[in-house]
Amino acid sequence: MNPLEEKLSEALRRKAVPEGFSERVLARTRELPELPARFWDRLKAFIARPVLRWAAIGLCLVIACSVAYRARQERQRREGEMARVQVKQALRIASVKLNAARRKVQEINRGAPQSRL
Amino acid sequence: MTTARLERSEDALARVARGDATAFADIVHEYQSMVFSITYHFLDDRSLAEEAAQDVFLRLYRNLGSIKSPQHLVFWLRKVACRRALDEVRKLPKALPASLEDIAEPAEDPPDSDPLLSRGLRRMVASLPEDSRAVIILRYQEELDLAEIARILDLPLNTVKSRLERSLGVLREKLHRWAGGIAR
Repeated sequence: MNPLEEKLSEALRRKAVPEGFSERVLARTRELPELPARFWDRLKAFIARPVLRWAAIGLCLVIACSVAYRARQERQRREGEMARVQVKQALRIASVKLNAARRKVQEINRGAPQSRL
Repeated sequence: MTTARLERSEDALARVARGDATAFADIVHEYQSMVFSITYHFLDDRSLAEEAAQDVFLRLYRNLGSIKSPQHLVFWLRKVACRRALDEVRKLPKALPASLEDIAEPAEDPPDSDPLLSRGLRRMVASLPEDSRAVIILRYQEELDLAEIARILDLPLNTVKSRLERSLGVLREKLHRWAGGIAR
């Protein structure tokens, strides 16, 4: 800053307002019709309240826990279903094998007396 | 802008959004000196400056919903204060070209006293063409850089630069002649 600029900065320093300035401004605003807060501003202010913020965090946690619980239940149900199918298949295979063995035994039993004759 | 002022303004704006009637009063208290000084340095008349500054705050009151942040608030106030002061200057009857003898008034005060010099400089600034005056006030009262001044006044940066240089040249010459007048 050169000397002229320094002098200008000093001369143009901010001035104190006349006494009662803000009161006069506020008195003039009181004469104006009440300004309703805008819908989005009111909504934002409503959401920004700490109580609501904690409530929202709590709600999110409850939803997250519930979703996790449901997912776990679903997984268990699917595993159970798969196990049931496998057991049924195993039983079917076992049944087929047993039937085959019984037929063999019956054939052997039927054939034995004839061979003795 | 200081962090404390920024936080106070942020808080006041949040309270305004919630419909808190006292928040606007806090904003007025915070920025009244800035707005009044801009209009005062433009008009060089306390009552006209107060009237213009009050109008700026009334306009702010009506437009509070559009203010997005403390930085935006300060920018808005500076811009509207400059425009309002310019409107007021244009409404005034054209003053006769400022006589340097009128500016000096060196009668009793010692010629080298700072208050006298400051007063003389303020009058010299008030005698500049309106657009140049805006640049000088924003530069030396608000200590803004040229890019910020260009944004507030909606002017190209080079125009602001040239107006500042030209105004400083005029002020330097006036100050030189004024100092010579006092010395005589």
